[in-house]
Amino acid sequence: MNAGAGQVEGPLHFLSVTTAAQAIAARALSPLELMKAHLDRIAKLDPKLNAFIRLDAEAALQAAGVAEAEAAAGRLRGPLHGVPVGIKDIIDVAGLGTTCHSKVLADNVATSDAVCVAKLREAGAIVVGKLSTHEFAIGGPSFDLPWPPARNPWNPDHHPGGSSSGSGSGVAAGLFPMALGTDTGGSVRNPASCCGIVGLKPTYGLVSRRGVFPLSFTLDHIGPMTRTVEDNALMLETIAGHDPYDPGSAAAPNGHYRAAVDRGARGLRLGFVRHFHETDMPAEPEVAAALENVARTLQTMGADVRDIRLPSLGEFSAVNRIILQSEAWSVHARWLRERPGDYGQLARRRLMAGAFLSAGDYVAANRRRGEMVADVNAALAEVDVLLCASSMDPPCRIDRPADIDRTYTRQARSPFNVTGHPALAMMAGLSSTGLPLSVQFVGRYFDEAMLFRVARAWEKASGMDKKHPPIS
Amino acid sequence: MDDEIVELLARRAGLDKALAEFRDDVLAAARQTATVTQKLNAPTDPRVEPWPAMRPGDGL
Repeated sequence: MNAGAGQVEGPLHFLSVTTAAQAIAARALSPLELMKAHLDRIAKLDPKLNAFIRLDAEAALQAAGVAEAEAAAGRLRGPLHGVPVGIKDIIDVAGLGTTCHSKVLADNVATSDAVCVAKLREAGAIVVGKLSTHEFAIGGPSFDLPWPPARNPWNPDHHPGGSSSGSGSGVAAGLFPMALGTDTGGSVRNPASCCGIVGLKPTYGLVSRRGVFPLSFTLDHIGPMTRTVEDNALMLETIAGHDPYDPGSAAAPNGHYRAAVDRGARGLRLGFVRHFHETDMPAEPEVAAALENVARTLQTMGADVRDIRLPSLGEFSAVNRIILQSEAWSVHARWLRERPGDYGQLARRRLMAGAFLSAGDYVAANRRRGEMVADVNAALAEVDVLLCASSMDPPCRIDRPADIDRTYTRQARSPFNVTGHPALAMMAGLSSTGLPLSVQFVGRYFDEAMLFRVARAWEKASGMDKKHPPIS
Repeated sequence: MDDEIVELLARRAGLDKALAEFRDDVLAAARQTATVTQKLNAPTDPRVEPWPAMRPGDGL
């Protein structure tokens, strides 16, 4: 479906958040038409993609009708007035189930919105439904759960990444223009990488975790997933902010993340962490070539690119896993003791691992973590932004467990869950088989604006925001 | 860790039911941790604090 003549260009389901919100504010676009276009797209494609666990079409249409009346009367709720959003199903939406894609919580209904959802609604966004995830954001893709796993819109035989699988798949396919994901070892950035969209893990503590089912308290982050960098910045502006009831919430001021987005790369210092993908975990040649192309392009645009060394990926990964599995065990121990059969096999294996780690292992990992924080801070004193790999491989087939196992740990995302620095993953190109390749940018604490600036420079030069999966 | 030690630790953790119904999963879970702890270079300086440091400050 296209917007009416003289209004907005292109199919409504691929409108950016920013364009849609501006068009609604200018009364050039009807929120109801926008919602109907997305629901049509969902009806057509979701049977192939399984992005949804629960579609809330009736409530979404009703909310869109209200948004339309409000817009007609000149009353806009905020910068996202009338724009659809999908929510990962470990995040509470009042009145809907928060199943965590698990039989364990199949009957769990949320009584209130998570803080990040409440903020989106206050800004005028409309929730379309709850989205597929790896079970409890750790066990997937799995075929032994009450709902099937989400699939990659670039090729539905392939994995869309996880754990925010439905969020990545749905945003890329045009089922909704933005989604919330969560990221404990890379779960926003992995589907962003696999599905060719923009996914941000903000600075630890920037977005409230209240109302989000925990995986690992000190590694969990909530992040925006969109098709464009500017949309990501807009979404972050909406959901960021101090929450006195979240013990991990930072007392940082809200940033105006869109202000610097178009300032370009001239004069910026970029640190290329080549050893991650060259020696620590050698990447597929296509991935390595795409990363070199991003660095070269930014250099051509006036950035100063130099090599930077950090601790090895293997050790970052070990610290992440010891902390994650220890904290996750403390969350799941009772259920794993009483009803282990209600978990899928992957989640059961990954979550029980924490039972075999000692308190000494946990403290040792957290002591090493402090040193790693200092190492990344030292690197970011030399440069403005780090550039590195996200995934070492293109997305693999979803039905080959051996390939999933092989590629699951071949990534450079978990280092920045360990250290808490903001990290953004986005498309770096397409593989020879037409699947997304990715790049990751990492910034100083609370300097997401700088990340958006570099990411936008790459997006503008490469036109990655114009590439959509060929699914119809 | 051999299987007997894993079983002992699993029972100590209260995973008797899992051990009875999903023994292979319990063993696989334990094996994961054996390899991951070997990759950690714990700080040699005894004064190195865990994250977050035990001091009041400015968050991160």
